[in-house]
Amino acid sequence: MGQVEVEGLTYSYPQASKPALQDINLTIEEGEFILFTGPSGCGKTTLCRALNGLIPRFYQGEMSGSVRVMGLDTREHPTWELARHVGLIFQNPENQIFALTVEKDIAFGLENLGVSREEMYREVDWAARVTGIQNLRLRATHELSGGQKQRLTIASVLAMRPSIIVLDEPTSFLDPVGAERIFQVLDRLNKELGITIIIIEHRIDIAAKYVDRIVVFDRGRLVSDGSPREVLGREETRLLGVGIPRVLMLSKMLGPELFPSPPLSPEEFYQAILPRLPKATTATTKPSPAHQFVGEHYHKAIIQVEGVSYTYPAGVEALKDVDLEIHQGDYVAIMGENGAGKTTLIKHFNGLLRPQRGRVLLDGRDISETSVAQLSRRVGLVFQNPDDQLFEETVEREVAFALRNFGMDEGMVEKRVDWALNLLDLAQYKHKSPFTLSGGERKRVALASVLAWDPEVLVLDEPTIGQDYGQKERLKHFLMQLRTQGKTIVVVTHDVEFVAESQPRIVLMAGGRVLDEGPTKEVMTRVESLERCSVAQPEITKLFALLSNHGLPKDVVDVGEGCDILRGVLGGGRT
Amino acid sequence: MSLLESLRFTRGDSPIHRLDPRAKFLLTLVFFASSVIFLEAIPLLLILAVQIPLVVTAKVTKEWLKTIKGASVIAAFIFITNLISFYYFRGGLTPSLVEYSAALTIRFIVLVTSFSVFFLTTSPDKLSLALEKARIPYEFNFAFITAIRFVPVLADEAQTIMDAQRSRGLELDKGNFLSRVRNYIPILLPLIINSIRRSLELAEAMESRAFGASPNRTNLYELEMTPRDYLVSLLALVLLALAIYVRFLANWSFTLTG
Repeated sequence: MGQVEVEGLTYSYPQASKPALQDINLTIEEGEFILFTGPSGCGKTTLCRALNGLIPRFYQGEMSGSVRVMGLDTREHPTWELARHVGLIFQNPENQIFALTVEKDIAFGLENLGVSREEMYREVDWAARVTGIQNLRLRATHELSGGQKQRLTIASVLAMRPSIIVLDEPTSFLDPVGAERIFQVLDRLNKELGITIIIIEHRIDIAAKYVDRIVVFDRGRLVSDGSPREVLGREETRLLGVGIPRVLMLSKMLGPELFPSPPLSPEEFYQAILPRLPKATTATTKPSPAHQFVGEHYHKAIIQVEGVSYTYPAGVEALKDVDLEIHQGDYVAIMGENGAGKTTLIKHFNGLLRPQRGRVLLDGRDISETSVAQLSRRVGLVFQNPDDQLFEETVEREVAFALRNFGMDEGMVEKRVDWALNLLDLAQYKHKSPFTLSGGERKRVALASVLAWDPEVLVLDEPTIGQDYGQKERLKHFLMQLRTQGKTIVVVTHDVEFVAESQPRIVLMAGGRVLDEGPTKEVMTRVESLERCSVAQPEITKLFALLSNHGLPKDVVDVGEGCDILRGVLGGGRT
Repeated sequence: MSLLESLRFTRGDSPIHRLDPRAKFLLTLVFFASSVIFLEAIPLLLILAVQIPLVVTAKVTKEWLKTIKGASVIAAFIFITNLISFYYFRGGLTPSLVEYSAALTIRFIVLVTSFSVFFLTTSPDKLSLALEKARIPYEFNFAFITAIRFVPVLADEAQTIMDAQRSRGLELDKGNFLSRVRNYIPILLPLIINSIRRSLELAEAMESRAFGASPNRTNLYELEMTPRDYLVSLLALVLLALAIYVRFLANWSFTLTG
């Protein structure tokens, strides 16, 4: 018998028209490291909540079939009892930290179970050490960074000594380096302590390196189950809109006959084609032919940031003497680790924050005397979390909100709302409440509510967070479409692959300063700058760094371009 | 606002921080009681003179000065309203009435000081332990800690929502009083809805951490009265006895003016 046995599980949320899970059968053995994936709304989160009895106990609804964990039927045993066997960790660390200090929070579960003080200190000590936060034990929880908070939530669950840990998108709010660190901790728990790990994650590139089994869901059904190589190699997986590692995508484009088994990492890919490559040369490689979309410097500057410094009242120096110029029609990505000052910088573009030193110019004019409302008409800011702004009864009114604030007449408001809703494919939700929409749709409503007044500059803070592969693809195409209309676009993002495929000008930030900037191809090969800003190279660039020993260019970031170059070298392949 | 903010605990370490919250609370109550029984400036100034070394020992002088600055508006208000009411109701302004108003103002400063030292140097964790010792049910205690835990989170969220709505052309200080109140709806609604959503997530996480599992809940920290805490409690009681003696039995006169 497996550690987890799911048999014929069908479940519907209260008042839902169709079941969230349909006839799921799944056995999980001790010590497995499993990825649950699938497009948004496929049921993976629901299944995680069924594993410790939150479903159906907490959520009510209708459930048939059975879930057995360590032989315990989840319907017969309360969640607090199951909590000793299954630790559940959620997406937002903020909402699962209960204590004011780190060690007290790690102890929370043990306190609830009535464990003695001596034993608690022992367990807290152990859990903090295993997750690498022992030096933070006495710190206040609200002072921790996002990555530290998520490691704390793991420690807190770990202290209860569960045999299974289930994590629902634990790295969504983290930068790639923070995400990698979470995976390293989980890997250690899995390999050294034999704890079963079940994780939901959109970053397949990272996850594929660690997990030994992938289960894919679609519309409430389990559609694929197997080793990463099997599952990701299947054509159906790709068609479902599950992101697959970029090197795997590339290998499929070149033709499977070159690869005895689907490669999951740049190293595997390199080893597979090594025999067919020309001999290693020491000759310097020439850069690939440049694809310049828009000649940036032919246009005039629209936003100029000159020597801007900003310190928050609490004393955090968020910006230190930043200079930046954004030209009309530019597409710029601001990248860097959490806390680098990216969001602080974009809040200066429409006057939400005013520089304490230096100045910001819009169209060559100092904006210090212009109100946020006036500036916003020209520089539209879309915030990360749509729930921080949606409040109206209908999608239509939500999109019209800003237009009325700007004093447009009703005829104009109606026209613009329809235009924006059509543009973002939201017309069918016009009269629905924004709160009944899915996360991805809410994000689109928030974007529509800014785009509606057609600002010259569009600034997006982390537009890809929490979005699945298909939603990201749509966003990318949408931004490209706006660019062809000459709109200036600035995105703040951690998403290296998103950047690699849309090739903006990159601005790298760390510690409140701009450290480097340039076209994607150039910046993505400057390993040193990337490292200082905790930005990882795209998978394809990592591959071409290996291939550059064979006379191939190393500044390749995109799958399509990589394919063209390799076809030239290897010959043949499908089109 | 700054008055409330400066009552917020800031982590630090000093003999005052290390005192048992029960002993410290006793001391605070003694200051409270002894300042309430006096109506003259001199004994109240003496109490303040005892408090100031405590402020310095606790290394919270900066925060305390901020508190006093915040309180000074109210202190001035107390002083002036007293003067005015005496002027009108007792007929004329005499030096003794000025002294009396000044005494009431000093009393206010003494009260603010005693409570600000207590809250500035007592971590909410210790406070909750003291509440636990006082047999307050754990649910209340948990609610208290959670409220404190989420103050900075809510403050951040309110700021983000405000930024998002201002970026959509919302002008908070536009229009007359009524429309200004209405301007806050787009900020309050997302804040409330997010809080409801958050409370659901919190409940899920609590369940997953075995909340309510055992009737005999334990606590990682424990309060223990050390000899020093007993000494401080004793001194506090002596101070109280002294104050009562001076005020009610000794028949001393402290008035400066006729």
